[in-house]
This record gives sequence, structure tokens and C-alpha cells, in this order.
Amino acid sequence: MINVLLAGVGGQGTVLAAKVLAKAAEAKGWQVRTAETIGMAQRGGSVTSHVRMGSCGEEVLAPLVTKGTADVVIAFEPGEAARALPFLAEGGVLVSATSAIQPVTAALASAPYSGDAVTGALGRALAGSSVLFVPVDDGALVKATGNRKALNMMLLAVAVAQNRIPISLDELKAAVGACVKPQFVAMNQAAIDEAANRYSA
Amino acid sequence: MSTKLLMGNEAFAWAALKAGVNVVAGYPGTPSSELVETVARLHAQGTARGVHVEWSTNEKAALEVAAAASYCGARALFTCKQVGLNVASDALMSLNYVGVNGGLVLFVADDPGPISSQTEQDTRRFAAFAKVPVLDPSTPEEGFAMMQQAFELSERYHAPVIVRPTTRICHASTFFELPEFTEARPIPEEGFQKDPKWVIFPKRAFEGHGEVNRRLARIAWDYAFDPEFSQFNHRFENAKPLVGIVAGGVSTQYAREALTLLAQWAAEAGMVLPPYRFLAVGTPYPFPAETAAAFAEGLCDAVVFEELDSVLEEELLRLAGQRHLPLRVSGKLTGEAPDRGENSTEVLAQRLARFFDRTTGDQNFSALVEQRLASSATEPYDGPLPVRPPVLCAGCPHRGSFFAIKQALGKTPAVFCGDIGCYTLGNAKPLDAVDTCLCMGAGITTAQGFSVAQPGSKAVAFVGDSTFFASGMTGVANAVYNGHNITVAVLDNSTTAMTGSQPHPGTGVTLMGEKRKPLVIEEVLQALGVQCITFANPHNLEESVAAAQEAIQFDGPSAIIFRAPCIQLKRPDAPVVISQDTCTGCKKCITSIGCPAIGFSAAAEGPRSGKRGQAFVDASLCDGCGLCVQVCPFGAIEGAVAQPYGGARSTADSPGSNTGPLAPISLDGETPAETEEDIDD
Repeated sequence: MINVLLAGVGGQGTVLAAKVLAKAAEAKGWQVRTAETIGMAQRGGSVTSHVRMGSCGEEVLAPLVTKGTADVVIAFEPGEAARALPFLAEGGVLVSATSAIQPVTAALASAPYSGDAVTGALGRALAGSSVLFVPVDDGALVKATGNRKALNMMLLAVAVAQNRIPISLDELKAAVGACVKPQFVAMNQAAIDEAANRYSA
Repeated sequence: MSTKLLMGNEAFAWAALKAGVNVVAGYPGTPSSELVETVARLHAQGTARGVHVEWSTNEKAALEVAAAASYCGARALFTCKQVGLNVASDALMSLNYVGVNGGLVLFVADDPGPISSQTEQDTRRFAAFAKVPVLDPSTPEEGFAMMQQAFELSERYHAPVIVRPTTRICHASTFFELPEFTEARPIPEEGFQKDPKWVIFPKRAFEGHGEVNRRLARIAWDYAFDPEFSQFNHRFENAKPLVGIVAGGVSTQYAREALTLLAQWAAEAGMVLPPYRFLAVGTPYPFPAETAAAFAEGLCDAVVFEELDSVLEEELLRLAGQRHLPLRVSGKLTGEAPDRGENSTEVLAQRLARFFDRTTGDQNFSALVEQRLASSATEPYDGPLPVRPPVLCAGCPHRGSFFAIKQALGKTPAVFCGDIGCYTLGNAKPLDAVDTCLCMGAGITTAQGFSVAQPGSKAVAFVGDSTFFASGMTGVANAVYNGHNITVAVLDNSTTAMTGSQPHPGTGVTLMGEKRKPLVIEEVLQALGVQCITFANPHNLEESVAAAQEAIQFDGPSAIIFRAPCIQLKRPDAPVVISQDTCTGCKKCITSIGCPAIGFSAAAEGPRSGKRGQAFVDASLCDGCGLCVQVCPFGAIEGAVAQPYGGARSTADSPGSNTGPLAPISLDGETPAETEEDIDD
């Protein structure tokens, strides 16, 4: 069983990333369940997508990942990475974008929220643990590929490149072909290559 | 056949289409909306053939449309969220007595948590109140099978049937084998057969009540013994159990997963799970008593896991009482299961451990579970993290509407009566412009109660365009009839935004691909007798404040129509720029309108801000609405300001209107200019 949790802020594209991962898993003949946050939270709230894959032929029962059992957490924002920590399993992988998204509540507060501070604290906290922490300079990736819309695919590529999910980058790229409009396939596949090259295990 | 990843709601749509459904009618509401959207999309693609699909103006209208289609022998599907059934309940109660002809299924999605709702009501309980059979899926696959069987059940007993999924079924996805296309079942040629039975008189109601009672007993039997339905109630056990576990809906999956985890953890700790019997109930009402009796055979203790109400638990208790079973039943009523909110694998693992400890004695599973759940791979993050309540999007026209109303009121005491939609989010600081929110359409009518009981405060109601048509119009009629001094702010963004941009009567776009003459909100208001109607583009602050003042000062029911499209319907305009040379760091932009695209950098320095910090714009979020440009007292924000709306005018020119050319509306001498003179009088 492989459990992946994608955590972000409403509007960041976790849903499509979950769909691509599910498609790649299905192509391998595994049973897959995914679950999404749809509704009010999509308006700038914390959202999660859950992907559960029966990679050894197991039956996938619940749609949601249980705390302490996520093989991989892909966070689209450092604060959301911190929030998702309790989901990580022993020896899990945490991939996290480093750019913070400031909620209005933080702008109104006297002490604004610092994404770098959270990323730094995560790095220190996880240094002695069994978790592999992969902070991703998403600003640099977006600059290199010229496309913020493909950030979800790039984070997914970084996660797959850590070899914790038994899915190859080629299988991931094939799944992209099945999930996005034909005119965007090449762009997303190039973004996957770029991200995987920079962050390969 | 092809294999596709379908969200639960998409799977329900496919299942209904496979069952040959002829008519699908609903009203949007999370977590139910994607069903109707899927049918509409498949119809537009030519995949779903012969089906009529519509967003009705509200749930009551939708159920009545579906009911009459069923009278003709058509298979009909009605969809809504749990609170939508409240709106449709008047129709449902008597429809169940009258009965149906073609299969009629009500798809009613419950929302434990609640995640996007105003109540945690349980549609299984509602079904029991209305005496309507209900099916309760534990997975999207089971829901796919249930939806098709629900049509069969409905036709077998001429009864409406409810399929009740919850959010985690509706919004969970898995893969399905699908046909290339679906064909609606031909509607029988004889069509509607006129008969006194379709007319609900007291005498007919008495007869109907008897039919309902008799069929419920037969359906309970079918649920227990007919393989078509008993397939939805699973039982399994190991060794010779003395204790049992009952679950329904998604809790079945959580409980099974928790038992798997418990067994694994126990094995690793050299412990052994006691034997247990498990019953998953997919047909909660009428309760399959014989299934439950077979489950209870030889057990002394059973725990029930279900979300929302204690429906299965009470049925099991009743069974134990009726049959004098030596069975102790625990669950929500005994505090052994959470009394509200969502269940989860973690929570059920804890509760199951406690149950095993209590019932089977000498092992400490609770300690084991606590230890395993606490030993996650990392310590929890203990630093401060920002809270992320849902907020109005950057560029949302509602932001300007709320701000303008508050500006127009100044220090005038006022009560802001909110309603259901994106604009409920106007409650958040700094806008803080929703004092009450009750249910769909209640903003307009609660404002009237305030105007009567607290006449010293100005009562302002906010209502969206879709909500206005769904349940706002009768409230306006009440205000005019009873002469209530309220101002209705109609936030017309040309869509049903919160649930995902569905069309409505004001857009003229239908799900069958036709365009109709849109209903025009100001024409409706005027026809209902509202004497003062003003207009504004909410992105233009000066016009918005002036229009709001005019409407607020009018003595009697008045309306202001704020009209600009939802940002989901338009391309972003050029983002604004905050000049580092001019920004003083006063935070006025942030504390006035709270736009998510404006942040504050404590480290930024400029000639006028010193070390106070400065505001900055996230250009990837900014929609370029220009509201902040008008709010900054120092002119530090550069960007285009929206043109004024310019008073009453042809709906064809409305910025958000999806309409073709239309005759200009005639206000027949009731132009805003003349009502202004009324005020001067």
C-alpha cells in the first residue's frame, strides 16, 4: 500500500496532481482511491488530496490517508507542510515548496507569517528523524520552466524522483498524457523532466 | 467499454444514465453538485442520449418536475444536498403517499463535519420521518450499484427512494468500467394515466399512509433477503465471537481499515485481537431487522459506528428490546462513538480498542493504539501557523459591495443579514459584514424582522443572484406587502459561484444547451413593487457608495444591484502595482478590504514608510479589480479603476450578462433618478 497526501491552499492544483498519480497507479494495475477537498475551503482554505494505491495488490478500504501512514507528503506551501506532518510514516518523504502563501489573517496580524522560518524549522526538526525532507525552490523551478501552472506536476515529479513511490518518471509522464488537454501535455512533461533532474534522489 | 477515474458524484451520474434515467433535475449544493453537471456534460458530448437535465430554480421545483415525469412512466432523478431536502420536503411528504410510476430516485448528499454546510442533519433520519426507503453507500462502487437498484426498488413499490451518500463518497474517486454511451429508457406510450390517486385529498392521504406502511414492511424484508438488495448488507466474522461491530456509510470502510491496523499492531506487540462479528448496513431504512437479528445471534455486546445521527444504533436497540436479546448496544448514545462530525480510521481505531478492552477483558488495546498513533515519524510542528479560513477571492466583486455598504452607512447603526453563497464569506475581518446567516433566502426576510423589532437600526440584506431566484423573491414580496423598511443588496455575479459556477434563471443558459431570455433581477424587483432600485459596479467605489446611500436612505423596501461577473467567468485584468516610493506602510489597504492578493512585508523599506514595512501585491493572485487603488489614501497603488455601471440600462449591456440582444428594460417612470426625487420629498 502506498499512501500519498497532497496538501496546499485552495486553487493550487492538488486535484490534478492527485488525478495524474492515480492514473499512473491504475496503469500498473493497482486499485486506487483518491479523495478531495471540494467546497468552501477551495476559497483560499487549507486543502488536501489523498491518494491511496494498492501497490502490492491489497484492497484499498478508506478513501482518506490515516495519520502516521503517508509514504509521501507533497506540500504546495511550507505552512501546509507543517500542518501535514502528523500524516508522515516512519521513513516517509516530505516534499515541500518553499514559497509561502500569506492568508489575509496573516496580513492583518501584527506578526506576518514567514514561510522561510517554517521551512527552516521543518529542516531542523526533521534532521534527526527517519523522514527525508526535500524543500523545493518553487520560485526557481517556475522561473526555469516559465510556467507556474505546471508547479503541481513539478512537485509530483520531485516526489516520484525520490524513489519511494514505485512509479517511474516515464510512467508519470504517460499518465499526464491521459489527464491533461493535448496542447498542454508536452509543456507538463518538460516541466516534470526539469524538476526531476534538479531534485533526483 | 473504457476505464475512467470517476469522482463518486460522476459515478452516480453514470449509474443513473445506465439505468436509463429520462429526467434529471436538481439544485446545486456541496457535496452534491457534480452529479447534474456530469449528466449535462455527457449529454452535451452526445454520450448520454435522450436525457433531459436541468438546474431547477430550487429543490422544491426540481422534485416536482421529477415527480410528474415519473407519473408519466419516465425514470427521474432529483439531486440536492442535505439541507436542500428541507426545501423539497413539502413535495416529498405527500409524494410518498401519492406514489410514483417510473422509478424516482432522490440523490441527497449529507455533509458530516460539516465541511460546507449549515447543519449536520441526517437524511437517513429524514427518510424515516418521511417513511421513504433509503440506501447508504460505503464506497463509490457500492453507490454505483445502489443507484441502479434504487430505480428498481422505486418501480417495484411505486415509491420514491433516497440514495444518501456523504461527502467522502461524493468526492472520493476510483476507476470504473464505462459504456461508450447511454440511452434513456423509452417512456411508455400510454404515459400519464389519469386517476384519483394522484390527487392528495385527506381520504387519499389515509389510504396512501396505509400503502406506505405496508410497503415499508415488505421493503425491510427485501433488504434482508432479496439478493438484489441484501448484497448491500455484509456480515463477516472470525472464530466464535461474543462481540459485534455495526457500521454504515463510509464508517464501514474506516472501521474495516481500523480493524486491519489493530490486527497488525496487535500482532507486532504479541497480542491477539478478540474474535468479532462485523455487520455493514447499506440499507438503513426501513431497517433490515432480520439481517440484524442474524447478526446479533449469540452476541452480548455490539458497538455501532455511523456519522451524523444514531440511526442504526437506535434500530439495533429497538430490535434488542423487541426480541428480548441479551445484547448491550453502544455507540453515540452511550458516548462510545463520537456524537457528531466525521469519523476517521484513527478515531475508530481508538474507539474499537476501548470497546475490546471493555468487552473482552485482559488486554490493553487502548494503550497500544495510543502508543502507535503518538509515535508518528515526527514530532508535530509546534510553531505558529497561519489559520486559513475560506475567503473571498482576490478580485471578487462582493468585496467592493460589502465595503461600499459599510462606507455608505458610516456610523448609522445597521444589521447585516447574510445568506448562503460565496458572500457568506463577507463575515471575515476586515469586512465583517455578515451579522446573521440562517438558510437560503433568509437574509431578505430576517432583515424584515429586524426592521420591525429594532427599527433604530438599518436592516440590510445581502443575497446572490442564484439565491435571489431560488428563494429570495417571496421574501421581497413580503417586504413590499408588509411595508418593511429594508435594503436588499443583490450581489449579481452572473453565476452560482460557491458551488462551481452553475447557470441559473438570470443567466438564461440551460443545461440542455439552449439560451433563454434571462430573467432580469431589476424587472422582478420592480414587478414585485420595489420602488427604489439603484445600480453600481462594485469595483467602482464612488458609484457603489452613492448607489448604496440612495437605497439605504429610501423609506421602505429598496434594492441596490451590485453587478460585476465572478472572477471565474472573466480573464484577469492587469495586476495593480504598489509603489515602494509612495507606500507609507499604513496598512489601510489590508485593514479596509482584506484582499488575499495584498500582503505585508515587515522588512520592506521606502522613503515614506521608514521601518514600518510596506504592503505588497502578489501579482499571480491579483485580478486587477482596482478596488485597492481607490482605498489607498496616499495614491500608492497604481492600476486601472473600473468604469461605473451607470444606472439602469439594457441587460444586453450588463457586464456579467451572458445574454444576446434584448429589449431594453422599461422602468415605466420608476427610474432611479425619479426615486431620488422621492427621497428629496
